Amino acid sequence: MKILIAVGSKRYSKPTLHLGMKVAQAFKAKTTIIDVGEKISEFSSQLVELAQDQMESWDFDPPGVDVLEWAFNYLSDNSLIDSKQIETGFPKNRLIDDGEDRKLVYLSGTVCEDVNLILRNGDIISELREEVQYGGYDVTIVGKSQKRNMSHDLLQYINSSILVVNQHNNEKFNRVLLPIDNSHGTMKAAKYGIRVAIAYNIGIDVLTVLSDNGTGNDKNLNTSKITKLIRRSGVSYTNLEEYGDPVEKIIEKANDDKIIVMGASSMSPIKRYFKGSKPLSVMNRCNVPILIVK
Amino acid sequence: MLGFSNLSLSNFLFWATQKRWFIYAILIGFILFLLPQPTALSQKGFTSIVILITTLILIIKEPIPLPAIAIYILLAQIYGGIDSADGIAKAFMNDAVFFIMGSLMLAVVIIRQGWDSRIALGILKLTGNKTSNIVFGFLSISAVLSSFIGEHTVAAIMLPIGMTLIRFTSSDLSKVKNLASAILFSIAYGCLIGSVGTPSGGGRNVIMINYFQQLNISLSYFEWMIKVYPFVLIQIPIVAWIINHTFKPEYKILDSSVRKLVIKVAKSRNMTGRNTITVMIFFLIFIGWVFFSETFGLGTIALTGVFLYILGGFVRWNDLNKHTHWGVIILFGATISLGTSIRSTGAALWLADQVITVFGSLMEIFPAFSDLIVILTTTAMANILSSSATVAVLGPITMSLVPDMIHIGLVTAVSSAFGYFTAVAAPACTIVYSSGMLKPKDFLKIGWRIGFVSIFLLMVYVNTYWVIIN
Repeated sequence: MKILIAVGSKRYSKPTLHLGMKVAQAFKAKTTIIDVGEKISEFSSQLVELAQDQMESWDFDPPGVDVLEWAFNYLSDNSLIDSKQIETGFPKNRLIDDGEDRKLVYLSGTVCEDVNLILRNGDIISELREEVQYGGYDVTIVGKSQKRNMSHDLLQYINSSILVVNQHNNEKFNRVLLPIDNSHGTMKAAKYGIRVAIAYNIGIDVLTVLSDNGTGNDKNLNTSKITKLIRRSGVSYTNLEEYGDPVEKIIEKANDDKIIVMGASSMSPIKRYFKGSKPLSVMNRCNVPILIVK
Repeated sequence: MLGFSNLSLSNFLFWATQKRWFIYAILIGFILFLLPQPTALSQKGFTSIVILITTLILIIKEPIPLPAIAIYILLAQIYGGIDSADGIAKAFMNDAVFFIMGSLMLAVVIIRQGWDSRIALGILKLTGNKTSNIVFGFLSISAVLSSFIGEHTVAAIMLPIGMTLIRFTSSDLSKVKNLASAILFSIAYGCLIGSVGTPSGGGRNVIMINYFQQLNISLSYFEWMIKVYPFVLIQIPIVAWIINHTFKPEYKILDSSVRKLVIKVAKSRNMTGRNTITVMIFFLIFIGWVFFSETFGLGTIALTGVFLYILGGFVRWNDLNKHTHWGVIILFGATISLGTSIRSTGAALWLADQVITVFGSLMEIFPAFSDLIVILTTTAMANILSSSATVAVLGPITMSLVPDMIHIGLVTAVSSAFGYFTAVAAPACTIVYSSGMLKPKDFLKIGWRIGFVSIFLLMVYVNTYWVIIN
């Protein structure tokens, strides 16, 4: 499994990095940390590159390397990775352009096989999409953005599962909230939920939301399969059955102390683009980390 | 849906989102075509204005790569019936495009020569360790150098010197925020100010010279300097003063950091014979620009220099190829061809007439009002577009505004360098911004002050000094 963690600044990326790395450990995943810098006008892009070459000869790293260096040191200081200092390592930070509009960053004197560092420049969604396609990542982890469109674009265009981390209380969750329905993605979401629960040694609340009229036609066919799966994995769980609007109920049950793991919408991309989706609504409104599994 | 997989639908939606400004531009173009054509404007003129508007949208928003915009301009002109393919191709490649090509290549050669250490020592010898003097030194050296070797080249050379001085003062940027802003803006704005001093200072100047030549107007390298260089010299102390007072540096004296920088550059490699030859070749290029540019063209001479550098093995073709943005060159060729079409189809004259219809009475009472309109329009466009593209598309229009074409053409070229407000206006600003030490709001904070002062100064300058020397 491969996980991509996007960091943007030293100020706001700590929760994303911390939770992201814990999840990566839970999945025993190979992790890449990416910083996407601002888009440079094409008029000046080559000249900026030339200027940055010149800056390198004066021992200056391009913007973004400092953020990646901070991220690496943060993970190392918090024992989230096993970094080694090697005498034969690069004498200074080294950037290698692999010809795919991305730079691989090798920090001076350090080596870590668990984590890769990548620097890109451009529109954040385009670059993350490119990186996910290029690296074949299973999960992309990002901090929650204040921009409403960002969540929409992440869900719509990034071809991997998405974990969105809020800035507050990320380590305070004590249960996994697993909303389930009849869609195909629910089983995969359940598997991801179980792994998170095992990593954090917490239980799972399996939530089924039925329509208000309770006709019985919307009986969840996946419930028994999922509870069986959870039971087998040795994780404690409770079954919750609620009536009403699924988005409202999920947010209500998530409270401030759960991590939500749910499947992505099975609607067609065109419908999703215009109408939105339940995962998107939950992502926009909830105050807890949310993993949307594709 | 219709047999398309969710992935392909998602890819299509992503494409449409990314290219939405291209779609808007084309829609706007179609809507404009449906509007009734002004009677005083020919069909070709109308078409060229529609292409101009759609092109401006594409250049500002960059929804497609620059070379694709260039191809769009060329195709739209040919399919729009403005001229034959041969006619468009002739206007596409000219001396101005040669110059932009040569200038971008010369930047690669010059930056690789290690002149930065010597420039750093030169600045510090001149200025000493007083911060306000250092800001003045960075600004004046950047201005003088960029007059001759191009703003982008100077910005790339000066940036690491400035950043090293900032780093030696404090490694914590938050403690030297104002100092960093003062030094970096002195580099960027110095480059902008100086770039108009001579025709070789920037591609936009050569584009204007090219428009002059198309109208059989002669303006030599020296004549340009006599007209414009005093304005560069007037601006230098004023802009340095504004920078020092907008970003009051945290340290008035940079004693230890200056010493550290001197020690660092003193350790750098000595001037070699090869470095001397590169300087000599550049000096020959400069002599060629001054004395032979009217005969051979600025671009041809710049390319001669590039040829000599390649021939002498001072630069590898791979290096030139890697760092020369061919897309920019093609785009400038295309915008120049569009500018030529705007003039030849009568669209420039029609647009100028519209301006005269609106402001004609004011222009009659106050002749300088036409200068103000041109300066404000050019400054606004240069800050959202690019200075060279602004001159390429605006030049033919502004030159149709008043009878004195050299006057208004030079006003257009000079004010296209007033890209103080945004990081994208000029390569020098983008290069300095790429250091990561400046924020967009810093450009606005200082840009409006310098912009306002520069507009005022230019108004006074062109209506006093130019009147006297004419």
